[in-house]
Amino acid sequence: MVTTPRRVVPAELDWPLPHPSWELGARLDRELGDPADDAGVHSYRESLRLDEGEEFPAEQLAALDLWGLAEYYVPAQYGGRLTDYQDLSQLIRMLARRDLTVAIAHGKTFLGAAPVFLSGDHAAARRLARLVRRGARVSLGLTERTHGSDILAGELTAENHGDGLRLNGEKWLINNATRGRLLSLLTRTSPTGGPRGFSLVLVDKDELPEGTYRHLPKLRTLGIRGADISGVVLQDAPVGADAVVGGLGGGAELVLRTLQVTRTLCPALSLGAADHALRLAVGFAQERELYGRTLAELPLTRHTLAGAYADLLLCEALNTVAVRSIHALSSELGVTAAVAKYLVPSVVDDIVAELGALLGARSFLADHYAHGRYQKLARDHRIVGIFDGNTMVNLYSLVVQFRALARSFLAPADHRPRLASLFDLERRLPEFDPAQLVLVSRYGSSIMGTLPAAVRALRAEAADRPALARAAALAEEVHRAAHELHERIATCTSTVGDAAPSSFEDARRYSLCFAGAAALGLWLHSHRAAESGPTGELWRDGLWLEAVLDRVLRRQALGGPARRSAPATGGATEADLSERLEARLIEQYQQGSLFSLLPCPVAEGPVSC
Amino acid sequence: MLSRLNDTPCSGDPAQGPQAAEGPHAAEGPQTARGPQAAQESQAYGATPDPGCADLDAGELRIRERVAAFEGLLGDPRDAGNPFGNAALLEADERGELPAEAERALAGFRLNDEFVPRELGGNLDRIDGLARVLRPLFRRDASLGLGYGVTSFLAAIAVWAAGDEAQRNWTAELLRDGGRLAIAYHELAHGNDFVRNEFSARPDGSGGYLLDGRKDVINNAGRAEGLVLFCLTAPPGQRGPRSHSVLLVDTAGLPEDRWSVTDRYRTVGVRGCQVAGFSFERCRVPGSALVGRQGGGVETALRSFQITRSVVPGMVLGGADTALRTVVRFATSRELYRRSVLDIPHAQATVASAFTDLLVCDSICLAATRAVHLLPEQTSVYAAAVKYLVPKLLQDACYNLSIVLGANFYVRDGDYGVFQKHVRDLPMVSLGHAGSAACQATIIPQLPRLARRSWGQGTPAPEALFRTGGGLPPLDTDRLVLAAEDDALVASLLAAVDRLEGPAEAGAELAPVRALLRALVAELNRVREECLALGPHDRTAMASPHAYALADRYTLLLAGSACVNVWLAQRQGGGAGGDGAGFLADPRWVVAALTRVCRHLGLALPEEADEHSEWMLAEVLCRYHEGRSFDLYDTPLAGPLVVDEPAAARH
Amino acid sequence: MPAVTPLEAEYREWLVTRLSGYLRRPENDINVCIPFSEYGMDSVAALSLFGDIEDAFGLYLEPTVAWDYPTIEALARFLVRAGKDGEL
Repeated sequence: MVTTPRRVVPAELDWPLPHPSWELGARLDRELGDPADDAGVHSYRESLRLDEGEEFPAEQLAALDLWGLAEYYVPAQYGGRLTDYQDLSQLIRMLARRDLTVAIAHGKTFLGAAPVFLSGDHAAARRLARLVRRGARVSLGLTERTHGSDILAGELTAENHGDGLRLNGEKWLINNATRGRLLSLLTRTSPTGGPRGFSLVLVDKDELPEGTYRHLPKLRTLGIRGADISGVVLQDAPVGADAVVGGLGGGAELVLRTLQVTRTLCPALSLGAADHALRLAVGFAQERELYGRTLAELPLTRHTLAGAYADLLLCEALNTVAVRSIHALSSELGVTAAVAKYLVPSVVDDIVAELGALLGARSFLADHYAHGRYQKLARDHRIVGIFDGNTMVNLYSLVVQFRALARSFLAPADHRPRLASLFDLERRLPEFDPAQLVLVSRYGSSIMGTLPAAVRALRAEAADRPALARAAALAEEVHRAAHELHERIATCTSTVGDAAPSSFEDARRYSLCFAGAAALGLWLHSHRAAESGPTGELWRDGLWLEAVLDRVLRRQALGGPARRSAPATGGATEADLSERLEARLIEQYQQGSLFSLLPCPVAEGPVSC
Repeated sequence: MLSRLNDTPCSGDPAQGPQAAEGPHAAEGPQTARGPQAAQESQAYGATPDPGCADLDAGELRIRERVAAFEGLLGDPRDAGNPFGNAALLEADERGELPAEAERALAGFRLNDEFVPRELGGNLDRIDGLARVLRPLFRRDASLGLGYGVTSFLAAIAVWAAGDEAQRNWTAELLRDGGRLAIAYHELAHGNDFVRNEFSARPDGSGGYLLDGRKDVINNAGRAEGLVLFCLTAPPGQRGPRSHSVLLVDTAGLPEDRWSVTDRYRTVGVRGCQVAGFSFERCRVPGSALVGRQGGGVETALRSFQITRSVVPGMVLGGADTALRTVVRFATSRELYRRSVLDIPHAQATVASAFTDLLVCDSICLAATRAVHLLPEQTSVYAAAVKYLVPKLLQDACYNLSIVLGANFYVRDGDYGVFQKHVRDLPMVSLGHAGSAACQATIIPQLPRLARRSWGQGTPAPEALFRTGGGLPPLDTDRLVLAAEDDALVASLLAAVDRLEGPAEAGAELAPVRALLRALVAELNRVREECLALGPHDRTAMASPHAYALADRYTLLLAGSACVNVWLAQRQGGGAGGDGAGFLADPRWVVAALTRVCRHLGLALPEEADEHSEWMLAEVLCRYHEGRSFDLYDTPLAGPLVVDEPAAARH
Repeated sequence: MPAVTPLEAEYREWLVTRLSGYLRRPENDINVCIPFSEYGMDSVAALSLFGDIEDAFGLYLEPTVAWDYPTIEALARFLVRAGKDGEL
């Protein structure tokens, strides 16, 4: 590994780079062993074998239990090791880069347990924490057969009976419904339903009398074929009154608040998948000969690879800020989570498609090229955009907030949250307080709100450093686009479901501008520290920022990234950017580093050439 | 409003009653289907009945009846007992098999006749007809489409184009007897760079050849009676455009100890296809195996590609039809937030856009397949353009549709399981022998020349190019050349502009068409400027990403030209079956189509642009309920009328 | 039932106008006793109401206010109280 001498860190910084969360992720990856070693439990080959046979990765999950992964699902106040959500995000990302099935099958316990941990019901949380830390799997039961993402249409009922409740009904398409011991179920507790008609009930199957529940068969799915995606039917299943978490009628609110946190963590799955895809594509391009050259020498290939890398960094920058905002800007997580959960999986779907085209036939072969890893990750990854709130749900949740978002951007209130720790990777984040989560952000998005000042700050830096000129110009273009967008959505009157299709398009553009603002903030506050680290070249002269803003603007155009001709600032500059970026990509590949803004070695180690 | 539409048959569309499944047509006209079953079925599912039938030529009638008979044979996709039904095909896909019963039925239907020229006893005389006849099969299953039939055609075309009489007769007989040909133009290590093929056939000194090397990822490798092989025939060190030849090999005559079929490749899409490879070691074949001249392989291959690239996208379109149909079924029967999914404007727009994209695709497919007959000298560009653009648009449309389907997209069986199968199959059938970059690489070197010599002064295409039916001159593969001198589709775009700006079509209702065409012409001028500025290095594999982007934009302009000209042809009653008043003659679809094209180009939309989502959606629902295809032909489909299933009634 | 005070009537009127705009229905179609959800305003959309009310009347409300007071009648009555208490 390349080591750079640590710079002298000013005393006031609490958390000097390299970042501990990235280091934690690297440690997990290293301790799981080299995935290219076919003999390992956590090898690519084993993942492919399990996928082919649609086998549950039980052995892999047990090994992760031994490693202590579940400790990171449990907040420190309940005895676990979860103090910083960046840790959890990086752990998920590193798992996902090997095998999404494993990452999802294990990580599901966090999704299932999170509502209890965030509910403020300390007794229930402590009980559950003990079980989770001992390896119990928890699953989250929201969806039903005829009701997908509309969770308030659920028909599984919980009715008062004696001292407790009786559950009747079915949940379907539930990850780990069969293998999970505990289920967090959203149940209807008022016949008329409505936002106050649902309650969250934590069910321990081990405590249910025989005959009161049965499992529905595992579904055959397009991807994550080994996962236990099944269902459960409850028939007069008795639970105690203390099984209700978050109060009677509080279920919908609790679930929606919890989803803000989990939706912010899901993009880590996409980041891992994108790393996997890009690593396969770079390897292929370097070894494959075509027209007397390696594929990697062809300008189109280099452009495609550099574009995918820029997209990945765009996703990472957005996601880094989003995960930090769980701590530093909890009150706006409703907006931030929707942006991240929509944008990151969608962009990564694009990356996978573009790189798949580069791989050609190899991306379809089930075992002949790299064990068929590409086709597996491509199938697996499609689940990320679907579960835990799909694209339509996330865009819609932005659309209904349009007027508030526009208001706060165009006429900012005095409300000025302290955002220094949000963007500065060397600052310790405040402790996360779930009570700060609200269903709708009162002040729109402060992250988007930083855009005008950030553009000014970048322009000021560019005045002394001409290398930043193009990044500054692109940032101004993003700001212009954001301003126009907010003026347009300010007049959006629809608050009911009839949001016009054009407003979904606006929500897509909003997400892109938001990602631009997040990237800008991250670079401005962290570049001085990061420039002296092993990934310093990426940060110097605003390289990654320029590339990311370029991608944001290309994606703003309707035709998507490939279709736009060279942007106004000129073809030569663009080619130069692409080449400089590609050099960093190849370097990270050769070094055996995660494709990332921050240093993080992967278990394969350096590539011998 | 939408739910009301569900209840009433639509108006203003091709004369078509709600009882489409019992279409009255097809009994009239000559009966061409051979199998008794097919003959019977062709009476049950009519070809599009329309008043214009009288002036249809025999060829067009034959195509329509063959399509209807085939659709009848393939039957109701939702019938659990149907060997061509979704359930049976999904199960076969799971097992990685082509269902034997279905293959027998295809043989009984004499599907292979479609691939054999008429003069050799088959049905092949029109390339657009071939795409249309195969489309119903691809609507059911791309594995069968490729695995049973199309692969043989892709191979045979080289024989039709360059083979001698004996080879042509042998191939015709083989196919007409239900046999198969495999085609091996490339091997895995060289992909689309097929000139760098290592597989060699050296003259053995006694008039024959010795085959050496491997061919990978070959469909039907293990079960084809004939092989069409692309081989290096020049001595090592003399590699060049004349160093390769095409051989036609009868596997029955091969020495068994000199060749073998390698292990099967498992693939993520078209899982039923028997994809494997060959390995040859000093395996002697007779000199009579040579197709065309020795050293003429590259030319034969490139000429063959012009036909195969033109025709395959028009077949593959069928898969996207089913994907769209599946999503409409989901969206009309499911509730979200207490309403039908199809009441959500975003879902409506996605469905309408997908349908529009299908029409855009079919328009360019139509032009490309008919160009093989009408503009063979220009086909090299159009074939590559359609092969590049159509799969891309279809895959994007399916991605967007998958979002409407939500979690159901991810389930491999059940009511909507067929969707994910088509999503897996589409990229694979699209890749075939020419990935998208390879197609762009065919287009790029021709762009500067066309920009300089043709755009702005070329001759427009004959109107017949854009007719949805009607006779065509015979196929003449000798007229297919490797580089185009003119670009009639671009000239036709400009001609359409002139016509619409002129006094004949001055109606105010056409203002949106004019505005969109102006936007496309402005884009054409930009593309032209940039093509003229392309440097010499851009004509090679070292072409810049910018050159690839230009090729992309150019193909969309061709699509725009095809759409507006298909519409114009229908408007004046042109196009067999067009009566000047049907759906295709309505300006709204072309405004929607051109708006989509402008969107795909990333152009700022003129104010008049309009996707006409509501109107297009009404058409989708109408065709869905009445069982008609989502393409230019509006063909009646097998199966009962669709009655919406309310969510509560489903289990 | 207590009589509707002038302030409460003002809130009701404002809410009716607002809803008729969102739902694209005439004002006299809107019954103050029928839950928002019956008009097709789903729970996610209902969450956006609080911001409009805050802006119009300078109140400080919980985003879930339209969940807890799911009809115009209930919401108007609550707003009267909220105005008196400063904030709730």
